[in-house]
Amino acid sequence: MDRLAQTCEEVARNSSRLKKIAVMAAYLQPLSDADLARAVRFLSSGPIISSDRKFSVGGSILRQAAIAVTGWDQDIYSLCYREVGDTGETIGLLLPGRTEGRVMSLADAEIYYARLYKMPRAADKAELLKEIFASHLPTTIKYFVKMITGNLRIGLQAKMVEEAVASATGVPHEKIRQANNRLGDLAQIALAARHGNLHQIEARLFHPMDFMLARPLEDLDGLRDPENYYIEDKYDGIRSQAHVENKRVMLFSRGMEEVTNGFPEIVAAMKTLPGSAVLDGEILAWRDGHAMAFTVLQQRIARKKVAAAMMEAIPVVFMAYDVLYYNGRMLVDAPVEERRAILETLLHDCLSPLLLSPQAHAETTEDIDRAFAQARADGNEGLLLKRRASVYEPGRRTGAWWKLKRPYGTLDVVVTAAEQGHGRRAASLSDYTFAVRSGEKFVNVGKAYSGLTDQEIRDLTRILRAATLERFGRVSLVRPEVVLEVAFDGVQKSARHKSGYALRFPRILRWRADKTVAECDDLARVKELYEASLRGPHPGQA
Amino acid sequence: MQIDFSPQGIFLPQIDLWLDPQERCQNGWLSHAHSDHARGLHCHVIGTSHTLRIYRLRWPADPSVSQNLVALDYGESIHHNGARLTAIPAGHIVGAAQLLIEYANERIVYTGDIKLHPPICGAATQIVPCDRLIIESTFGIPIFNFLSREQAAGRMIAFASACLSDGVTPVFIGYPLGRGQEAVHVLCNAGVPTAVHGSIARLIPVYEAAGYSFPGWLPYAARETAGKALVVVPNFRSVLEASGKNTRLAYVSGWAMLDNARSRMGADELIPYSDHGDFAELLEIVARSGAREVDVVHGYAEAFAQILNHRGILARAPHALAARTDQEMPEG
Repeated sequence: MDRLAQTCEEVARNSSRLKKIAVMAAYLQPLSDADLARAVRFLSSGPIISSDRKFSVGGSILRQAAIAVTGWDQDIYSLCYREVGDTGETIGLLLPGRTEGRVMSLADAEIYYARLYKMPRAADKAELLKEIFASHLPTTIKYFVKMITGNLRIGLQAKMVEEAVASATGVPHEKIRQANNRLGDLAQIALAARHGNLHQIEARLFHPMDFMLARPLEDLDGLRDPENYYIEDKYDGIRSQAHVENKRVMLFSRGMEEVTNGFPEIVAAMKTLPGSAVLDGEILAWRDGHAMAFTVLQQRIARKKVAAAMMEAIPVVFMAYDVLYYNGRMLVDAPVEERRAILETLLHDCLSPLLLSPQAHAETTEDIDRAFAQARADGNEGLLLKRRASVYEPGRRTGAWWKLKRPYGTLDVVVTAAEQGHGRRAASLSDYTFAVRSGEKFVNVGKAYSGLTDQEIRDLTRILRAATLERFGRVSLVRPEVVLEVAFDGVQKSARHKSGYALRFPRILRWRADKTVAECDDLARVKELYEASLRGPHPGQA
Repeated sequence: MQIDFSPQGIFLPQIDLWLDPQERCQNGWLSHAHSDHARGLHCHVIGTSHTLRIYRLRWPADPSVSQNLVALDYGESIHHNGARLTAIPAGHIVGAAQLLIEYANERIVYTGDIKLHPPICGAATQIVPCDRLIIESTFGIPIFNFLSREQAAGRMIAFASACLSDGVTPVFIGYPLGRGQEAVHVLCNAGVPTAVHGSIARLIPVYEAAGYSFPGWLPYAARETAGKALVVVPNFRSVLEASGKNTRLAYVSGWAMLDNARSRMGADELIPYSDHGDFAELLEIVARSGAREVDVVHGYAEAFAQILNHRGILARAPHALAARTDQEMPEG
């Protein structure tokens, strides 16, 4: 682990992508099999791979242990964290002079992670972390913690770890990539690649694979070649992956969590499918041939077990739009046309709650525009465009898929609190909580942290610092004076905000320096939008 | 003794003396010549000879203002309105000094910007016992733990050599006064051909007069950078980027302690070395001064005062000056 930490530091120091990969590969190459698997697993999927439970060591446990070992109080620790913007780095900087500096092998780290994972009580985890922090080198602890918090911040993307494995094992990157798409376990792939067994890597049914992602497209001007796309509706439900074999069915969500138990009627329908398959699709609340708003579906997914009454009140469907595996064959590298043909054969004649997403062919941008209006009229979010001849790229957001959404609406809101960002934005106030007017007061309706340029964030940071009323750690409460225009994809009920509502996927369109607080929207407008969304199809305004 | 803290500087009314005044005043002590300390056309200006020389370069005399520059070099004392003032070396940059004020049986030390461990260029700091200490805290929280000058110089030379052997131009970012000259001094003496940006080069003669050598440095010329290390001011980085030259950038600063400096500065190599003391140095200065009362100004003033309080030292952070933390990142 000490050498892995040193290697990560070296990777951070090199800005060239090739150099980063070379540094990592040089580290991996001479490792023993066991250590190669450990190092690759830490780098690619974090401390522990588990399908049933998350690795739950949160910020507060880490902080508690760091405070105990370093002797600094909460105030000082929090200030340090605010300046640094990363838990592992903060702890690493506070440890020098307070640790024994013992060697930590990768095997040691693996044992520590496993023990932390198994402990049910937070207090025990904190005790063990204290022991770990006090025993090993600060740089090692820095990365030991970063693996837990999940972002190394050394400019090493997942794909680069794949490339380092390729280079360290002397196997072409494309082969490693394909195997990783099938199996999703890079550590095992590294070992297979080293021993020449890569061809034996088979897809594992009932283990979730990464989902292919679509790039957002807010208008069609950016699309040069409309004739090269297939059009489907973009549904506003729960993206999910169904694994089916011999009447056994599992459903996974985007977060790779299993959600099978929530949707018994879908499971029952899937059991009727012949052979084995992995389907990609969307779970939707459905009535009278239309999807209902996500807010409706949300009421159902709040329950772990579903009562019959709930199934009656909020029926659901699985809208299938891709197939990744069929009867022993991986299809991710097959072109979209072939996958679609298999999907159509498989779902031929099927009935609700198992549906096939209709697909059309675009010739012009006008076709796409019309389809968009129709999708909106049908209560869907927008369109999904799939490029002709494209393959399924798990975990990637390439230009092969586009989602055309256009916002549900926009509001002028006022910033009431601002939070320091992380990493590159650690020194600025870049996350904004915003509110609408309610009488003489302001009530929060959401939080957004994207959409502004770095320069705008710097300017806003200065203004918001000057408008700060009170500070709580990373968060500053500010006088309401900065007006932003935000776009969002819907309005939902929320117990978190005093207003009772929250905007879905809010993003900042622009900073309205020209508007005063008195001109921003009020709670009545938010209510109106919420009620309109319950009535069904979107208003379709851009 | 009464000490007033305000955004205009620190004022000692009983002896009518301002410490690092921010606006024009009658009598001002300049701890050193950085522009956030030495500014404005005061009537009587007291500082070390080096500080006064740089101050005059940066704030040329105005014929309409009558000024009297009083040199007070290390170890020298003068009497001023009933107090004895003595200049004590502060390490920070060439010419930087602490001021010992002895008045009515009380000894007060104002550190100005200070570094306890020996700097690359600058006098060795002395700690003098006092009753009350006014200290800066630019890096006054425990995450700051800097390299020694030898380690920093070693890292700078290694970085420059590695870049040059890869055929890449190494670039060092330095402020026009202080870090810039230190980088040039280190590189030139290690035999690295070094080209220097004009506003850093301008003050090299002052450093030479203080006894530091810069063998073979060259003025920066856009067309002649191959095979040379460049030492430039921070805002010159965008010019280099736009030029499309194949460069790698080293950031030598206290702020280089934090990985986020890498993306903020666009730096490849971070070398955590500063002309300010790190957290442990600041604690040591307080401890060795024996001061019973401490006023903390600049940077993490409140946090550093709180830490001192926990150690049983009566410490305050006068708010008027602490405001500077909310501005752009100070030189470090």
